[in-house]
Amino acid sequence: MDEMIIAILRSSTPLIYVTLAGVLAQRTGIWNLGLEGLMIIGACATVLGIAITGSFLQGFLLAVGLCVAASVLLWFVIERLKANQIIAGLGLTGLGLGGTAFAVEAYMGSQVAVTVSSGAPKAGPVLGAFGVLSIFVLLMPVVVLGLWVLLKCTRFGLQLAACGEHAFAARSVGADPSRIRLIALAAGGVLCAAGGAELATGSLQLFAQNMTAGRGFMAFAAVIFGAGHPVWSTFAALFFAVAGVLGIRVQLTFGDNIPHGLLQTLPYLATILGVWVSGKLRGGAKAATLTEEQSDV
Amino acid sequence: MQIKPAHGSKQVQLTTSRRRFMQGSAGAAMLASGLIPATAGAASGLVALVHTQAAGDAGPVDSMISKLKLLADEQGFQYRTIYAQDPATYETIFRTLGDAGASVVVSTFNEVTEPFQAVAPHYPETKWVQLFGDPMDPPISNVVTVSYDYYLGCYLSGIFGAKVSEAGKIGFIGGISIPPLNADFNALKAGVQSVNPDATVTAAFAGSFQDPAKGQEIATQMFSDGIDYIQTDAAATDFGIIAAANEVEGRMVSALDPAQYSHGPTSVISIVGLDFGVSLYSEVSSALGDAWAGGTHVNTGLGTGVIEFIRSPLYADQGPDDINARSDAAWSAVQAARAAILDGSLTVPFNTEL
Repeated sequence: MDEMIIAILRSSTPLIYVTLAGVLAQRTGIWNLGLEGLMIIGACATVLGIAITGSFLQGFLLAVGLCVAASVLLWFVIERLKANQIIAGLGLTGLGLGGTAFAVEAYMGSQVAVTVSSGAPKAGPVLGAFGVLSIFVLLMPVVVLGLWVLLKCTRFGLQLAACGEHAFAARSVGADPSRIRLIALAAGGVLCAAGGAELATGSLQLFAQNMTAGRGFMAFAAVIFGAGHPVWSTFAALFFAVAGVLGIRVQLTFGDNIPHGLLQTLPYLATILGVWVSGKLRGGAKAATLTEEQSDV
Repeated sequence: MQIKPAHGSKQVQLTTSRRRFMQGSAGAAMLASGLIPATAGAASGLVALVHTQAAGDAGPVDSMISKLKLLADEQGFQYRTIYAQDPATYETIFRTLGDAGASVVVSTFNEVTEPFQAVAPHYPETKWVQLFGDPMDPPISNVVTVSYDYYLGCYLSGIFGAKVSEAGKIGFIGGISIPPLNADFNALKAGVQSVNPDATVTAAFAGSFQDPAKGQEIATQMFSDGIDYIQTDAAATDFGIIAAANEVEGRMVSALDPAQYSHGPTSVISIVGLDFGVSLYSEVSSALGDAWAGGTHVNTGLGTGVIEFIRSPLYADQGPDDINARSDAAWSAVQAARAAILDGSLTVPFNTEL
């Protein structure tokens, strides 16, 4: 049972951090389809940073710096150049996937998988079997709760939500929607760096091309599934992780009797079902509309 | 999302400008990529490797790139390696290379069969090599296909695994359930049951060849079920499988490439080696020579230097003594089966159904 819980926590934690980044963006009225790109930049930069400096902390700080820079670039393209946010987000994903392959080739001389001897700090023996979990897993509930409090109970959180729902109204009370979106996207960059770092160094200590394998898009789905609420979106991400882990269990248990191809689709079917149920029950995430007021910001 | 209609001329100008900007960017990207050399028409001698899995797998793709570089250095030709991630782009990439006057285009796996069939006849001066592909039907005069009897190596791994496993539980983790990988699993199972009919063999597929985290999740569940020997068949996903094996002593992995030994000195006990690099080196050398015969199919298997079941020397040095002792005892059975396959007295079924 412990191993199952550990597997779910390991699987869900990167997804949850990136989901929270998507929640922040969605609250300000931006559908961030660049999550996949930001996540892989975080994973790659952490591992390359460790390879260069020998320090996890410095590797992670490099990842944070690059993810924030990429998020600011996204903000600039959307807010200043008035680009379509969906296309800009997909462009950022392409930049992340291609850029990390280029970075690895530039640093290593070929497109090898980069392995490092140390990864994210672990909880240690004090947690028994759970001591193999990284600090990112331990901090994850704190971050979720903190974000919920920020959005629910602080002036900034309310301003942030107002930007997404009615930018004109937010401006009328002195909030600057463009500046708030910049802050939200930059904070999302930090969260994506954490998600990428956990994926690459939480238990693996390596970076391989495209290793995010669509997790950024799963996180985007979790934002929709959770209606843009930090806690519900976290549960959505957790649900996807559980579906993935149970999908493996089903393969191992029923693989002799049911086609593997069908079994492998179960987590994705669960995702579609979950999003559909969410849409029915909660109305889904409110559409992030670029209203005329926002477009004119 | 609401899209604001373009009412004024200013808005129209902005849209036009953006389109031009994007077109310009796309053109600049093509030029910057070097896919189309500025001297395209004069690029005779260009050898291109279009790989459909990402490099960095410490396996087939890395091996091919390495051997192509080596051959280019030896023979002095120009080469390109191109990662074709999206199947929708295969045909475009091949046409671009044909237009660029490439002498030889090498690509991998069955997914390029149809693009080859569509493009190769239009570029008769270019020689096309498909590694890990079935024979073309009908044959195309400037295409050579190469297939590998990898499943025979998996059969030997099954014999070995059944003899070194204490639990009598063997696992197989593939990238995607496709016919060749299904055949590898069935051969592994046949090998296991040939020496231990009571042993169980369990298969799982990660759904990707580039997802180490998923590989780790699957392997962890397999190991927690008591499986103690896993044959991998999943390229970069293998890294996660090896990482899971490294967490507890006594877990064994049989991988794909010698480069994986160092990732698990006390867990990667063996490999079913398929040296795509050697194969590419051989086929490109042949294609650049005068005696190249297009429209043919090459089949390689055990005993050719391309496919072998090999024990890890690192594991022999650093692995647990009891497992190494069992490995030593198992090796004679493996060698006997290999000899029987080569002399034709043992036939391993090629079964692609799960």
